[in-house]
Amino acid sequence: MNPLLDRRRFLGQTLTGLGGIALTHLLAQDQASATPVRPLINPANPNAPRSPHHPARAKRVLMIFCSGAVSQIDTFDYKPALIQHHGKPMPGAEGLVTFQGEQGNLNRSPWEFRPYGQCGKMISDLVPHLGAHADEMCFIHSLTGKTNTHGPGENFMATGFTLDGFPSMGAWTNYALGSENDNLPAYVAIPDPRGAPQSAGNFWGSGFLPAAFQGTDFNANTPLRNLQRPPVFSQPTDHATRQFIATLNRHQMERLPGDNELAARLSSYELAARMQLSVPETADISSEPAHILKMYGADQGGNPVKDLKAAYARNCILARRLVEKGVRFVQLFNGAYQTGGEGVSNWDGHKTLQEQYVKHGEVMDQPTAALLADLKQRGLLEDTLVVWCTEFGRMPTFQKGASGRDHNPKGFTAWMAGAGVKRGSSYGATDEFGYQAAVDTATVYDFHATILHLLGLDHERLSFYHNGIERRLTDVHGHVIQGLLA
Amino acid sequence: MNAQRLQTFLTAACAVALSTSPATQAAEPSLDFVKDVRPILQKHCFKCHGEKEQKHRLRLDSTTGILRGGESGESLLTPGKPGESYLVKRITSQDEKEVMPPDGAKLSTGEVAVLQAWIQSGAALPDMAAARESLKFKTDHWSFQPVQRPAVPAFPDSQARNGIDAFVLQKLREKSLSLSPPADRATLIRRLYLVMHGMPPTLQETAAFQNDSHPEAWSRMVDRVLASPRYGERWARHWMDVVRYADTNGFETNRQRTTAWHYRDWVIHSLNEDKPYDQFIREQIAGDALEAEEATGFLTAGPYDIVKSPDNNLTAMQRQDELADMVNTTGTAFLGLTMGCARCHNHKFDPILARDYYAMQAVFAGVSYGERALKKKPDPATGQQVTALHSQLAAAEARLEGLRQIASRHPVTAALRPPVNARLNEETFPAEDALSVRFTCLATTGAEPCLDELEIYNEAGVNIAPAGKAHATGTFQGNPIHRLEHINDGKTGNSHSWISNTSGSGQIQIDLPAKTRIQRIHWSRDREGVFQDRLAVNYRIEASPAPEKWHTIASSDQRQPYQGAQDPAAFVVHLPDLEAAEARKLLDESASLKSRIATLTKGENAWLPGFSQPGPTHRLYRGEPAQPREVIAPDALSVIGTLGLGVNEPEQQRRLALANWIASPQNPLTARVIANRLWHYIFGTGLVDTPGDFGANGGRPTHPELLDWMAGELVTHGWSVKHLQRLILLSDTFQQASTPRPDMAVLDSDARFLWRFPPRRLEAEAIRDSMLAVSGALDLKMGGPGFYLMDVVEENVMHYFPKEKYTPAEYRRMVYLFRIRAAQDGVFGSFDCPDGGSIISRRSRSNTPLQALNLFNSSFSVQQAGLLAERLQAEAGPDPAAQTRLAFQLCYARLPDVFEDARSRDFIQLHGSHAFARALYNTSEFLFVF
Repeated sequence: MNPLLDRRRFLGQTLTGLGGIALTHLLAQDQASATPVRPLINPANPNAPRSPHHPARAKRVLMIFCSGAVSQIDTFDYKPALIQHHGKPMPGAEGLVTFQGEQGNLNRSPWEFRPYGQCGKMISDLVPHLGAHADEMCFIHSLTGKTNTHGPGENFMATGFTLDGFPSMGAWTNYALGSENDNLPAYVAIPDPRGAPQSAGNFWGSGFLPAAFQGTDFNANTPLRNLQRPPVFSQPTDHATRQFIATLNRHQMERLPGDNELAARLSSYELAARMQLSVPETADISSEPAHILKMYGADQGGNPVKDLKAAYARNCILARRLVEKGVRFVQLFNGAYQTGGEGVSNWDGHKTLQEQYVKHGEVMDQPTAALLADLKQRGLLEDTLVVWCTEFGRMPTFQKGASGRDHNPKGFTAWMAGAGVKRGSSYGATDEFGYQAAVDTATVYDFHATILHLLGLDHERLSFYHNGIERRLTDVHGHVIQGLLA
Repeated sequence: MNAQRLQTFLTAACAVALSTSPATQAAEPSLDFVKDVRPILQKHCFKCHGEKEQKHRLRLDSTTGILRGGESGESLLTPGKPGESYLVKRITSQDEKEVMPPDGAKLSTGEVAVLQAWIQSGAALPDMAAARESLKFKTDHWSFQPVQRPAVPAFPDSQARNGIDAFVLQKLREKSLSLSPPADRATLIRRLYLVMHGMPPTLQETAAFQNDSHPEAWSRMVDRVLASPRYGERWARHWMDVVRYADTNGFETNRQRTTAWHYRDWVIHSLNEDKPYDQFIREQIAGDALEAEEATGFLTAGPYDIVKSPDNNLTAMQRQDELADMVNTTGTAFLGLTMGCARCHNHKFDPILARDYYAMQAVFAGVSYGERALKKKPDPATGQQVTALHSQLAAAEARLEGLRQIASRHPVTAALRPPVNARLNEETFPAEDALSVRFTCLATTGAEPCLDELEIYNEAGVNIAPAGKAHATGTFQGNPIHRLEHINDGKTGNSHSWISNTSGSGQIQIDLPAKTRIQRIHWSRDREGVFQDRLAVNYRIEASPAPEKWHTIASSDQRQPYQGAQDPAAFVVHLPDLEAAEARKLLDESASLKSRIATLTKGENAWLPGFSQPGPTHRLYRGEPAQPREVIAPDALSVIGTLGLGVNEPEQQRRLALANWIASPQNPLTARVIANRLWHYIFGTGLVDTPGDFGANGGRPTHPELLDWMAGELVTHGWSVKHLQRLILLSDTFQQASTPRPDMAVLDSDARFLWRFPPRRLEAEAIRDSMLAVSGALDLKMGGPGFYLMDVVEENVMHYFPKEKYTPAEYRRMVYLFRIRAAQDGVFGSFDCPDGGSIISRRSRSNTPLQALNLFNSSFSVQQAGLLAERLQAEAGPDPAAQTRLAFQLCYARLPDVFEDARSRDFIQLHGSHAFARALYNTSEFLFVF
């Protein structure tokens, strides 16, 4: 269906009342801006590469998502006023009630901050390895969300909607641009060694987009399902079976020549055969040299935290290998809702933030920093956009009667690095305590619009018709944040 | 306007602003729109809202434009009430994002005053009657026009088997296309079973048809297929896509709904018994009133977020999302309309107003999520017992009613107002001046009194309490959700309420900023209807026009005593001793009878909605709960008709009325939408290719006459779905071959005009069911709790992991799968299998390497191929040729040709029948319907 034709058809109608109004206005709009763009998908190869809307700065995205809501106060959003006001009520917020209840007093971060790099960015001692890359990073401190609950918050960051049922950002990207590698999935999600994030499959789901665009989830510890030849069949039998299937399929096509869907089926089996070879090869990190393993911390172990760090580090190495092979969208997760509950296996530090974050920092910091360094030394930061984010931030106060911070969607931090972003810079700011965005407030929609923009996509035009609406990643919102662009 | 005239206006405007007395209004000079008002609008507004441009679809240069308003759905003018008029609010707003005009000079005080005065005097516009007539809500959009039953085009008998063929042939002829010859019998029987049952025919079914030389062989087989229970299982799965059914809550906790299957079973059963479609609709919306309570699982089948936060606005938004889910699903499933688009503004493409959306929301406002006990369908013996108990109960209740009447004669007068309730109490009185209002609680149902809001309405119907200052004799300390300032903060619900610090009593006073004429007070314990405790049952409301001049304006004395659930025996104290004793005995007896009836009739729990009388529904400006506008009565779509209900209509009545309206033969959408859905599931694409959107943004019917003819056929045959399906299946259109014809494909590549039967890949469920059916493992057990393809780890939030090993417990048809939101089965999730996250009227048909990997390598495929191989061995013996023949019959409902036969035998000889079975499961012919 040609969307432009649909629009004209709509305009051509003689609706009275509501529908008939503002014809000229709509026409004007048509010419001026957002004509929806639905990519033309070749059913025989839905992941064939497609052109962006405008020249792209980034060819692919590596999204690092920290589940559980990382505290901006204890990582990247330095607030000296918190030191002065430590232990005092937050002015103007008496009796403030947030997600879990009443707020106690302002609490400075238990970690010291120090300047890093030429830009002198103040970063906490919780993440010193990441600090070392401050000159590569472009911070955004003024992000705001729409919900203070994890599930909807993760949905929002993943899909642009707090509700279930919408396509993930990676699915949109895959739908728009296809793949540059025929032998690997176009979109890979790498769940944390501890398990899936709270929104689980929504994070890499395709929602109402065709399933061809959904993410494929596997990590360095759990290989992609159904990739291995079933042991009950020998290699020659396996090979012969493929050929036999192709023989029967081709024979059948002779009876029904020229059917696209049947042709597509044949090519999908050929692709599958190639993936069967190339995915294990890419996922096998045993060929990585010792210095690389050491750099990521993948050689560590001996206690639960170090074991976990090594497992996450292996996922980071896998992420690099996928980026290297041209996978369009890689999602790397840190933190899960698998075991232990609140704050134990993720960044949800409500009650005992310090003890919990010491572990999370140890696990996340060095491997993630090594991933950045590795991408850089291989020249991959030139055309790869790295995005680090979380579902929302945390309060500058401690919860009443606890030593941790409650949820706070009013001002939180993310950073980007690599293709097309302003290196060694910070955009936007929260107020003096790090509570609410105060300067250059940005929304998650803006954040998404900017990522699409760097991929060469116009977030207002990339659309898919579903249930009566031209759906977009950014709904009806979002502006590209120019201040993040190099 | 000359200076003197302006002066007069300003004086008048000031008088209006200062006084609310009607007497002063009479003294106003008459204001003329064209002379006095239009020039102001022209100067400030026409640039963006005039002839050339209409930002947000608003134009102010015509009477029609002003009366219609912009896309916000707000009416610009409230005649006589300038303060409430949206136009005035926008030009006087202090919010720089709101104030109009956005750039350039704002309106001067004088100009604002003129507009206010004009509105105060009635806001007369030129040619209003004609403009109103032209604005009468109507549409020319095809789907909103009454269904016209067109005459069937005339064709010689040999060409058009039935009405369906006649319309299809006519269109083909118009497009220079033609029908294909009939498909062969093997293709036909396999097509019929895959489309109607989602599984291939058994050997016996194939043989029976192949050997049936009767001229009615096909029609007899169609009848058998429609009568089979497999039919309901297949078509229920389609419906479950549309109604976003799944067995978990979704969102982060994603807890299991272990009893949601009652609704799924109801759907299967209803389809199998060919329940008339109008009844099918009615029961899903209001089955609790129609002896079909399981059907109401429809309302709450969607995702539900159980995590609530103390932030009222977020929680209110969650509730709005829940109601939106019900409105959207109802709109899409039955009407093919995208109602959700009108949640924040009037629909941009379809004739659906924001107020229509909220009218439909009001229908569902009393629906809540959860489980409840089903009524048990008693066996005959129990049934008799229940009947006997009921008649004893009726006798006891009759006598009790008599005693209540004796008690009520006691001291009480006849015309008492209803008792207080926790949700909302309205006190009306003749308008009077007040400077302060106080509410004194003298007794509660227990503990300290709690009020979530005290609203004081002026004559204009505006709640002025928020502008006042609240005092209390004492406020409960220590819980931030209970505070003095919550009494007039405009936020309702327990988490924004005031509680006194003394048990059973307390007083709250609101001092208004100035003496105001008031005429109504609303107060409530919990507007959200969750809490009923701490309710003030004995109270007095007083007003004072000057400091400390109190007099009572309302009190519980004018109300019937509160009996609540707490004390049904309250009336007994008003009876003489003898009657009192009898009453107590009868009350005990009645309670015991009710409990025995409940025990006998209470069935198991089911995930079904709860229903309670809701508070008022407001239109929400921009869909924001914090911006409620006028109260909206429950209703249907205004462009089609009205339900004529009041704002306080009983909850069940609302749903019943909407259900009847949707299920009416006069509704232009209902029959067309279902006829098209049936076509869609049979041919792969609907006559309208957007089965969930019959609006302006959706597709146009390729065969409008055929669609209307089918809609009419459905209604005149008692809304029988099977009747319509039978017509389609008996047509030549359905029975034609699917072979591509290049000369046709050039003109109509997708075969939208049906020059062939369009082949397509089967859905996930049909593939899995077919594999099980062919291997012989399929367990045809119907109904009951679903089976799992995921292992579950239960914590505060649920974790689901695809199973790697399968046992016979998982060999049931996939419609009985326990479907988990946001988690996809490891094998079939890649086949566009919806997870119930949103309404799916049309599935994608992706084709991916992951599908190939899953079918080729998964333990499920390997296991089922093994079972099929065993079956081939057992039923055909070791001979590869016999195995080949049997396998082809099972998988493709046909025998192999010479080429296939030779290749297959060779393959079996070299690699064995397990590998052979694995191969067949992966062939296009197995995965497609042709």
